[in-house]
Order: sequence, then C-alpha cells, then structure tokens
Amino acid sequence: MRSVDIIGVGITNFGKHIETSLVELGGRVAIEAIKDAGIKPSQINAGFFANMQAANIFTDFTVGQNVFWQAGINSVPVFNIENACTSGSSAFNLAWMGVASGMYDIAIVVGAEKLVVPNLGLMQAGSTELDTLEGLVVPNAFAMRANLHMATYGTTKEQLAMVAVKNRRHAGLNPLAQFRSPITVEEVLNAPMIADPLTRLSCCPNADGAAAVVLCASDYSRQYTSRSVNVAASVLVTGSYENPCNMAQWDADRRASSIAYERAGLGPQDLDVVECHDAFTISEIVHYEGIGLCPEGEGGRLLESGATSLGGKIPVNPSGGLLSKGHPVAATAVAQIVEGVRQLRGEAGACQVEGAKVFMAECMGADKAGDIKSCTVNILQN
Amino acid sequence: MNNDLKPVMEGIFEVGPPSRLNGAICPECNKKFFPKPMVCPHCLGEVQNIELSTEGKIYTYSILRTKPPYGLPQPYAVGWVDLEADGLRIFSLLDPDRISDLDFGKRVTLRVGAIGVDNNGQACLRYYFTPKDGGEQ
Repeated sequence: MRSVDIIGVGITNFGKHIETSLVELGGRVAIEAIKDAGIKPSQINAGFFANMQAANIFTDFTVGQNVFWQAGINSVPVFNIENACTSGSSAFNLAWMGVASGMYDIAIVVGAEKLVVPNLGLMQAGSTELDTLEGLVVPNAFAMRANLHMATYGTTKEQLAMVAVKNRRHAGLNPLAQFRSPITVEEVLNAPMIADPLTRLSCCPNADGAAAVVLCASDYSRQYTSRSVNVAASVLVTGSYENPCNMAQWDADRRASSIAYERAGLGPQDLDVVECHDAFTISEIVHYEGIGLCPEGEGGRLLESGATSLGGKIPVNPSGGLLSKGHPVAATAVAQIVEGVRQLRGEAGACQVEGAKVFMAECMGADKAGDIKSCTVNILQN
Repeated sequence: MNNDLKPVMEGIFEVGPPSRLNGAICPECNKKFFPKPMVCPHCLGEVQNIELSTEGKIYTYSILRTKPPYGLPQPYAVGWVDLEADGLRIFSLLDPDRISDLDFGKRVTLRVGAIGVDNNGQACLRYYFTPKDGGEQ
C-alpha cells in the first residue's frame, strides 16, 4: 500500500439550506476542495459520493454523478455509498484504498445530506426490521446504553449533560456550527425529555450540509500543495453480533481503533485532537473509553475533569460536534476529516488546538442486535 | 384477545396461552437464536425450531417520551431482556401499563397482546415482557 495524503478540503455550514438542492450542496464543496487542492478536475481519477436519505426523502438516487459533473468530473469511475452515519467515512475509506492500492493517483470524496424537511420523524433502522417494529428508534437505543452506563459505572446525568455543554461552548468558536449560544447543565437536564435520560439538548439536531476531501498519493502531493496532511490509518469495521452483547461498551470502537493505532504506529497517548460521533451525549463518553482515552467506565469522569475541553489534555469535538453542528448524516464523517485537516494545517481559527500533529476521527453507524452496523477510525498526521 | 389480529411480523411468536417466541438452535454449534436465522451463521448448517423461555430479566431499558411510532402508547418502554435459560439477550417492547415498575434486573414474563399498528397501519399483535409481581431480584 502507498502512503496517501489529503490535499484539499471543502465544507458548508451545517444548518438549514432550504433553497439549495442536495446536488448543489455537494457541488459547492467539490469545487471548493478541488480549488483548495490546486488541481484541475480532469486530474481526478475517481469520485466517491456518500448520501443516506435522498432516496427516502426526495426519491433521488445515484446522485454522485450529478454532483461531480458540476465540478467538472466526468467519464471516470463514480460510486454512490450508503453506510448510515459512517456513509461519508466509508466513502473516504474506499477512496483511500483506491489511492493506496495504486489504482488511482487522485480521488475525491463528497458527503452531502438534506434532512431539514417537515415531519421527518425519528430515525429508525428500517420498517422490515423486527427491532424497529417492536419500538426501537434511535433515541431509545442510545438511552438504553446511557441507563446501563450509569448503572454499571456510576456515570451521572450531570456528566452526560456536560458533554452537550462542552460541545456548545466549542461551537461558539466555530462560525460554521448551527447552534452556538452557550447552554448550562440545568438547561440540558430541564429540556423536554425524549427518551430517559436523554433530553432534547442531549440529542443531535437534524441539519443540511456537505463536505469534501481530495486524496492524492503522497509521492505526488507536493506538486500541488504545501499544506497536505497524511492519512496515517483508515479503518472500517462492522459489529460481531455475538449474543449476549455488552451494551455498556462499544467493542467495535476498540477493534477499529486498535487496528488504526497499529497501522499508524501510534497510541491514544499520541493524539492531539479528536472528533467523535457525539450523536447523543452518552455516545461521546462511551467513545472516550472505546478509543482508549481512558479506562472502561471512566468516560464521565474524564469529561468532568476538563481533559476533553479545548485547552485540556486531549480536546474532543473542538468543532462543537454533532450536538451543536447538527447531523447531516452522510456529510458528518467527511466533515470530521475536514475539521482534522484544518487542525493539522493550523487553520482551525478559534477552535485551533495549538501545535496539533495527530488527529483522530471516529464515527459509528446504526444498530444491529444491540451492536453497531459500522464503525470507522481515521488517523491523520502532520 | 382478538384472534383476528395478525402478528407484527409473521412467524415470530405463537399466540397462547401460553404465548411463545419462536427461536432456533444449531445442533452442531449448540447456539440459540432469535429470531430464527436462515442457517446457523457460525457453521451455515440447518437450524431447528425451538420455543424460547418465557421468563427473563431486564438487562437495560428506556422510556420513549416523544411521539411514538406504530401507534404505540405515549410513553412506551423498550428493553433488552436476558432469557437466562437460553443464554440469549433479546430486544422487546415492555408492558406499557407497567412503566413505573421497570428496573435493572427486574424479572419479567412474556406476553402477546394487541398493541399499536403494523407497517400497513392495521392493528396487530406484539410480544412484550411484563414485570413479574413479587419477583424482583
């Protein structure tokens, strides 16, 4: 496998893009990333487009070709990818593999999603799944984990709420985030209850948005830019679906990050900044444990110590995370990688972690048998 | 119980009394499954139908307070129930009338009843577990 760099990025703000089509959102970030990379569209050998809900909401499918055509990309292979919340990072993993293998020299990834539509309802796994028919929706799947984590390890409701408070404080520094006003622990706890113990402010809001990255074989990246960032590891795993499943931990986080650390020759102590999939407050706490920032069961206390705040030992979600930015599903995991590139380039503005050299993006998608459907870990390095 | 109602998914349970969940066992791997898989996912051998235990205890649960799907009551509870006799942890609706009695480790019993609607908006039967009176651990 060859070394692969990221040479260009593009991103929209996350929020309401009512007047902008999905294809235009995707096109904008593709154009921005291509210009940022300093290449011509004709130099791109393949395009990977991630989207989850367009077929469901707009009866739009095979959207990638429309997106890439606007950015001057045609004739080359184009793939349309869905993998729930990891749709974007799955597209990234495939693009990385394509370049690392030598099949392509330059590839582009775009993740785009439009979810701000009336009466979208609660997301669920699909109407043919038994668990869905028995009442499983995404918020109660995470609420069951939260209740179990509290009962097993003594994690508190206040610690859960502090995740939302921290990420909102970070979002105040990020002009692209959807919700930027500070909130308090009391406001999170007293917000309308969705699924005990998760209130509305403990759940990520819907959003529209898009993000893009251009990958290039490291041998050639210097020809185009002096601001390239290396992909030290790109890993995707799925659940093991063993029964009974320990739902107080995410084994997939542990497996994916272990593989990524080994490939990168790094460990959790080497990370300078992390973006993780904080779809719900409990998620971020369990991810701390899964990727090795703290021992099992210590996530709530790590958060409370301030270690994961900007200025702390290992800032997590300095962008404000999904809890503040919103969660345009297929854009989310590409946006995490864009945030990482900006951190390692020193271009993250007020969210910058000083001197950041190593970044991890963790993302997780969908439930199956009490386990998860997919988990991605990408490590970027300067 | 209204016997004209269909189960929320065909083949998942037998309507009693006593109602039973339809599981499966792989005789080679001695592993049990719910719901029944096409073949054993470990050895790809044929699996045999079995009736699962109707008794279990709550591993974890949550109560959904917001607008429910499938015409379920508001609020309603779901959870993962350990069928200790089968070594299986299964997802289930929990008795909407007993939400205040739910707890970790609570002993529960299987029931089937008319709750909510199916994918076609028709009233249907769902399996659920209800707390056993006096059986708390």
